[in-house]
Amino acid sequence: MRNTARVLRYAFASAMADLRATYTWKSWGLAWLLRMLFQVTLFAFVGKLIGDPRVVEYLVIGNSVFIIADVVMLVCASTSWERMSGTLPLLVASPAAPFTVFTGRSVQWLLDGLACSTISLLVLPQFLGVQLPLGTRLAVVPLIAVIAVSVYFFGLVLGGLALRAMAARNLIGRVGSIGLMLLTGVQVPVSFWPSPLESLAQLLPLTHGLGAVRAALGNGSASDVLRGIALEIVVGIGWALVAAFTYWRLVESGRRDGTIEFGG
Amino acid sequence: MIGLFLAAMRFQAQVVRREPDYLMSLVTIPLLTVAFLAIMGNAGRADLAPYAVMGAALMTIWATALFVSGELIDADRWEGTLEGVLAAPAPYQVAYLGRIATVTMISFLGLVESALIAWLVFGVTFPVPHAGLLVLTLACTAFSMVGTASIMAPLFVLARSARIFQNSLSYPFYLLGGTVVPVVLLPEWLRPVSNAIFLSWASDLLRDCLRAEEPVAAPARLGVIVGLGVLGFGIGHLLTRAVFKRVRENGSVGFA
Repeated sequence: MRNTARVLRYAFASAMADLRATYTWKSWGLAWLLRMLFQVTLFAFVGKLIGDPRVVEYLVIGNSVFIIADVVMLVCASTSWERMSGTLPLLVASPAAPFTVFTGRSVQWLLDGLACSTISLLVLPQFLGVQLPLGTRLAVVPLIAVIAVSVYFFGLVLGGLALRAMAARNLIGRVGSIGLMLLTGVQVPVSFWPSPLESLAQLLPLTHGLGAVRAALGNGSASDVLRGIALEIVVGIGWALVAAFTYWRLVESGRRDGTIEFGG
Repeated sequence: MIGLFLAAMRFQAQVVRREPDYLMSLVTIPLLTVAFLAIMGNAGRADLAPYAVMGAALMTIWATALFVSGELIDADRWEGTLEGVLAAPAPYQVAYLGRIATVTMISFLGLVESALIAWLVFGVTFPVPHAGLLVLTLACTAFSMVGTASIMAPLFVLARSARIFQNSLSYPFYLLGGTVVPVVLLPEWLRPVSNAIFLSWASDLLRDCLRAEEPVAAPARLGVIVGLGVLGFGIGHLLTRAVFKRVRENGSVGFA
């Protein structure tokens, strides 16, 4: 247990080094954050084009929360960087479980996404004519953090797939992200889709958490919020187990057929 | 000169064929047609479908320019071929324009994809009452896209955080370029910015081509699209020359 914590701590340090190498405060604030805010604004203006303030509100909330999923899904790309840097064989040879390393290795996106999503939810509604009490908006930040972790494990599963298909690594991440955007109630309620897709949405991260955020920001009861976030946690644990299995399989099959280094 | 342009076009087509990652925007962004149509359908505004299809298509065209054309010079630098390009007697700017032209032409498949997705997923089709003008507008849009992309390619060589800025020029331009939502709906103070972007003129005119009414002042609007494209070519030319002069002088042609 102590060793696992130590591995996670080093993986976290590596993630933060990645974050510092990727952004300066200026490039993050003036470029990346701004781009994310424009993403939410674009969809909010689709609501304005439709001409219904309720649609605008739905889209502002959905897309502000979705930002965190969009950023966190970068875990798919950063996981595959390990194979590109040639460090995967070393990870497999080390006594630590690769899943532990990969779990800590991309947490920079959790912080990045949480910051973008929170700022979007705090800043954009008043610019876009959406009335949401500031206190409630602040209160949903912990719910968004739970969503982030749940999406993170989903992204880790896709990252495991990307490690097997390196040429498609970016595509896997993007399609995964757009899939979440379409199915989990970001743009339209999940009930909009045919029932097989609606059922699939129940198993995806974001669906229940976003429902909880909407309940908290709207007129939902406390039990709606708690039920939504509890389901999000359950879904997140499910994806964490799938992720652990994915990385165990990756290592086992890679050892057997010699694709640890050249399997991409 | 024309031979070089065509050879560069052929070369880029081969590069794209061998590196499917270049086509990622063509795979992912048309999927946003589903998102836009779902929002509109759920709100009972299926009549806005042309906005969704044309919007996703224009977003694909812009994103492909940004992520593929914008990277051409930098990619050459990374692969160590930029020295050869600069040392060759052929004018490098013609070669790059040829390559950008291929990327731009391929990106227009986004329009076909968006229309197909709308039809296959939602059964949405719509008439094109001004087909001739639509084709002409698409041609002018392609011309201006090549001109604008010729600014991006040298710009991303200059910027230290090129990747971040590259990523960041997507959604701001989708919004300010009126791809899905007409710029007339944007706040008044943003309109001068939008008017300076060829995409806003192109998207407005393309949407008008899908309406029954005769588009107003079409020749003048086409003139603005082409004019902004010519301006793009001019800025791109000067910027490319300045960037290459700089990397030659400081010895960083092959040092990315």
